[in-house]
Amino acid sequence: MTSVADTALAQAKPRPRRGPFMDFVIRLFREKPLGAAGAVVFMVFLFCGLFADLLAPYGYNQISLMNRLKPPSLAFPFGTDHSGRDMLSRCLYGAQLSVIIGFCAAGLATVISIVLGVLTGYLGGKFDMVVQRFVDAWMSFPELIVLIVVVSVVGPGMPQIIVVLGLALGIAGSRIVRGAVVSVRENMYVHAAKSTGAKTARILWRHVLPNVMAPVIILFTNRVAVAILAESGLSFLGFGVPPPAPTWGGMLSGSGRAYMYQGPWLALAPGLCLTVVVYAISVFGDALRDLLDPRMRGSR
Amino acid sequence: MTEWKRFKNALIAGTFAAGAWIGMAAAENKDKPQYGGTLEVGTVYITLSALSFDPHDWNWKLNHDTGSYLEQLFVGDLSKARRNGGKQAFVADGYLAQDAIKGELAESWAWKDDPLRVEIKLRKGVMFPAKPGVMESREFTSADVAYSFNRLISSPKQQKGYFNHVEKVETPDKHTVVFHMKYFHAEWDYRFGWGYYSPIYAKEMVDAGATNWRNAVGTGPFQLTDFVQGNSNTYTKNAIYWGRETIGGTEYKVPFLDKVVYRTIKDEATWIASLRTGKLDILEAIRWQNVDSLKKSSPQLQWNRWLNQSGTFMAMRMDVDGPFKDIRVRRALNMAVNKQEIVKAYYNGHAELFAYPQHPDYGPYFEPLESMPDSVKELFTYNPEKAKKLLAEAGYPKGFTTKVQVCACSPDHMDLLPLVAAYYEQVGVKLEIQPMEYGAFLGAMTSRTHAPAYFMNSGHVNPTRTIHKSFITGEMWNPAGYTDPKYDERMELVFRQKDEAVRIRMLRELTREILDQAPYVWMPIPYVYTAWWPWVKNYGGELRVGAVRPGPIYARIWLDQDMKKKMGF
Amino acid sequence: MQAYIARRLLALIPTLFFASVIVFVTVRLIPGDIIDLMMSQNDISAGKKDREALQAALGLDKPMYIQYFHWIGAILFSGDMGKSLWQNTPVTEQLLQRLPVTFELGLLSLLVALSVAIPIGVYSAIRQDTAGDYVTRSFSILMLAVPSFWLGTLVMVFPAIWWGWSPQIRFVPFTQDPIQNLSQMIVPSIILGCSLSAITMRLTRTMMLEVLRQDYVRTAWAKGLSEKLVVMRHALRNALIPVVTLIGLQAPILIGGAVIMEQIFVIPGMGLLLLEAVSQRDYPIITGVFLVVGLAVMVINLIVDLSYGLLDPKVRYR
Repeated sequence: MTSVADTALAQAKPRPRRGPFMDFVIRLFREKPLGAAGAVVFMVFLFCGLFADLLAPYGYNQISLMNRLKPPSLAFPFGTDHSGRDMLSRCLYGAQLSVIIGFCAAGLATVISIVLGVLTGYLGGKFDMVVQRFVDAWMSFPELIVLIVVVSVVGPGMPQIIVVLGLALGIAGSRIVRGAVVSVRENMYVHAAKSTGAKTARILWRHVLPNVMAPVIILFTNRVAVAILAESGLSFLGFGVPPPAPTWGGMLSGSGRAYMYQGPWLALAPGLCLTVVVYAISVFGDALRDLLDPRMRGSR
Repeated sequence: MTEWKRFKNALIAGTFAAGAWIGMAAAENKDKPQYGGTLEVGTVYITLSALSFDPHDWNWKLNHDTGSYLEQLFVGDLSKARRNGGKQAFVADGYLAQDAIKGELAESWAWKDDPLRVEIKLRKGVMFPAKPGVMESREFTSADVAYSFNRLISSPKQQKGYFNHVEKVETPDKHTVVFHMKYFHAEWDYRFGWGYYSPIYAKEMVDAGATNWRNAVGTGPFQLTDFVQGNSNTYTKNAIYWGRETIGGTEYKVPFLDKVVYRTIKDEATWIASLRTGKLDILEAIRWQNVDSLKKSSPQLQWNRWLNQSGTFMAMRMDVDGPFKDIRVRRALNMAVNKQEIVKAYYNGHAELFAYPQHPDYGPYFEPLESMPDSVKELFTYNPEKAKKLLAEAGYPKGFTTKVQVCACSPDHMDLLPLVAAYYEQVGVKLEIQPMEYGAFLGAMTSRTHAPAYFMNSGHVNPTRTIHKSFITGEMWNPAGYTDPKYDERMELVFRQKDEAVRIRMLRELTREILDQAPYVWMPIPYVYTAWWPWVKNYGGELRVGAVRPGPIYARIWLDQDMKKKMGF
Repeated sequence: MQAYIARRLLALIPTLFFASVIVFVTVRLIPGDIIDLMMSQNDISAGKKDREALQAALGLDKPMYIQYFHWIGAILFSGDMGKSLWQNTPVTEQLLQRLPVTFELGLLSLLVALSVAIPIGVYSAIRQDTAGDYVTRSFSILMLAVPSFWLGTLVMVFPAIWWGWSPQIRFVPFTQDPIQNLSQMIVPSIILGCSLSAITMRLTRTMMLEVLRQDYVRTAWAKGLSEKLVVMRHALRNALIPVVTLIGLQAPILIGGAVIMEQIFVIPGMGLLLLEAVSQRDYPIITGVFLVVGLAVMVINLIVDLSYGLLDPKVRYR
């Protein structure tokens, strides 16, 4: 016969342990609702971008001259452009492109920032000084002009734009990573690890990098927004991903501006997409910083 | 008739006459030119600032920026403009009809034999104004003409062979200049007379530094008084200018305006808005897409329409191995594009199906499509079935793939090319579009490393140059690499032909032949619009009276400043 | 402190050297060189001899390192940055003409940004996580998310159609006619300033939050000092830090120009000068502009770093 204690034990199941990620998500939703909303919106766009091929009712370059400049309707929820292409489809594919550009450029930038920042921050000395002078030189040039010159050299095209944006943003961001590394470098456990003879690479990997992840994550989300906006600026000046590629920036600065009066939806659709996505990422990034930045903790 | 009746009739007649006379006088007064005011112009080259002010640089855009203060031997005769009852549009960038040319600094000229030469009598009493730091005011003489010419041919940037026909220049007296010619050249007056590179200027300007705009001085109606690179050119009235203009039977001193300002604006939205709000008095090149909304918001604007001065086409390289070496392929690609639909649906009717290589503005030089032989007409019909047949005959039954380069700087081309690609898909030809930035795009052609297909615009310029620059062996602007020594010879003969009627016939033959050979996919050419506010008077949308030279046109414009104020601007 | 300044100034030299080499080489890598562009002005193909003659006339026939030393030498010994390859006007003259314009635009934008951002930032910090905080922060991020060229075009296109008004396109230097000059500069300054304000606002907010948590602020509260007094006296001084940071961050725009605004509003600044020089392949102008901008930005950043020392006692310079 089972005792009362046995039944009680059997009934009282231990609470399931949630991982740190779930904890974080719950904190996000509970403490930073705006940031959480931003994350959700961004996820929606990400989803649209990834499955654009399935979701889009038409191709992104499906020219149909008899349907040109039609206002939004049931057949064309976002209207059509001056070549008769469906704006909804173009915006969906635009999500794909912008997400690709944003993520890849930001990813590349973050990798460069980490590599440069960690190496110079940790190793210090002459190497640090030389690289910092190079970074100084790079950062003293107006960003857009640098991009223009480099795009002129490599030519227009999506891979080139990604690499160019990644480089430009990465070098600039290395400063922040370096700052974080420098402050970690002086910590006790790093000294301890050194004194026990641990290899540099191991120290970097196990002790330095994890403590630098917070600013890196914030940097990454920020960079996605910056990359998307930078591409739109480049498109305006004629140095972005060339048409017919349906980047939001390209649509906004090209046909969106040329037909602003005859067809405002040409600018409204990609403009709203651009603004909403950048806004969503930015509030999400803000929320992240509030949650992850140790200086901000406890600031009720 | 009684005395009274006669008197009454006379009185009535007299009143009518008086009234009519007063009315006419009032009307004339209303249209009597006023002096003063500043003209703000968004010129045809609104996005381009001056590249050079020195004729020594052989820059194509020179006359556009110097043509108000530097004059030439000859100029277009505005009395032959359409608004004055003539036939000339004065829109072509490098063409003037022979009967619409008058002397500017030249008063009269004549060809003479033994030795072959052109004797030019120069205008007397033309003065260079004083320019502090450069020169005192002095009379213009034949020495200035000789100096300008000789300096031109000593430049490292000169066009090879441009003046091969000239033996030497002589100045027997202060007001006569003689060009000794080796042989007759049909473009003699275009090349040095009213062309791109032939402004006349003073040695003093060169001594002070001709490349510096601050030293600019000339005999023209205006003088260059300010230049902000990439932003504006300002020209101020030359008080001692010799020119006169006859309006309504009365002769007036020109210019009427105090100032002319060219606004350099890079952004289309900005220049359209500036025209709308009266910040620009004239806007010379408006794309058809903007016309309807402008007409709606500003119904008082005056309009002129002209056909673009450059041909749009896709060049197919015949000088590299590939499908385009076969004429059947080239003709097939012409027939595979629905050019009529492009005119109707893409350009909304604001385009012409056939206007290249010759331009309809060239009068007798232009032969319309209807009078062309059938083989040429066929190229302008949409016939994908025949195209497929030709491709199969040439050995491409399943079509082929080719790279095509296009300049990312042209929004029109960037929109048009995917449309063309869509047509080609129907016949199995696949286009791989490669957009390039302008400098790189141009560099590819000049270095002959461009793709087998190359989508571009090329200016007509004038009836002879349009053939010469694009279809003669080795020419830079010959991206298809078309080469036929017999064709080259025949072109050279055109230049030597004194009789214009014969030249016209020869050029028509050359044009038919090249159309047939189809080195390009000939595309429709869009219309462009010029608009100006009604207070701009004595103007009808003319653009050039010399190679890219608008100066003398602006010199004859006057502003009705009262009207402008009354309209609220 | 002086040793620090000296070291920083010394460090400028290798930085500038790096910058000059990078720019010099990169610019010449752009495909389609200026000879092509110049020769294409003519209708007739130029032969090899003509190309070489033109190259020599422009000084572009020598090997790159010799061209580099000529250029650097001319700058260091005679302050001559060369002449435009197209116009033959001295680069220095062009820079002197355009720099004040760009600087004025940058300064006005900065003023707009600060006057929008600081009040919002302070308010957001004091009322952290309230609805007011969210609304003002959202507005500020919205300003960042709308591309400036789009706002600029809106301002250009629609008022012209609705009210017959468009921004001034006649440029007049400030010294000549301040009213007209400002009437042209005011619209682009506002647009630029608003997008800049987002960054400043966050900085201000962060700074204020940190300060408000400090012990001395809590002490002041505990002492019963009014909120306003606490904020004003103790916290605002720290708010200058993000101001100074912003100046440092925006230095490239202050000197290098805001290309997009200049293009739409017809302002003859450094940004457009550079853009045009790039498309014309006018190498002396490109390299000259980059060098001047680079030097000026580095000096501004040095001043910014130094002022941190004055404003933030925690910062020490070894």
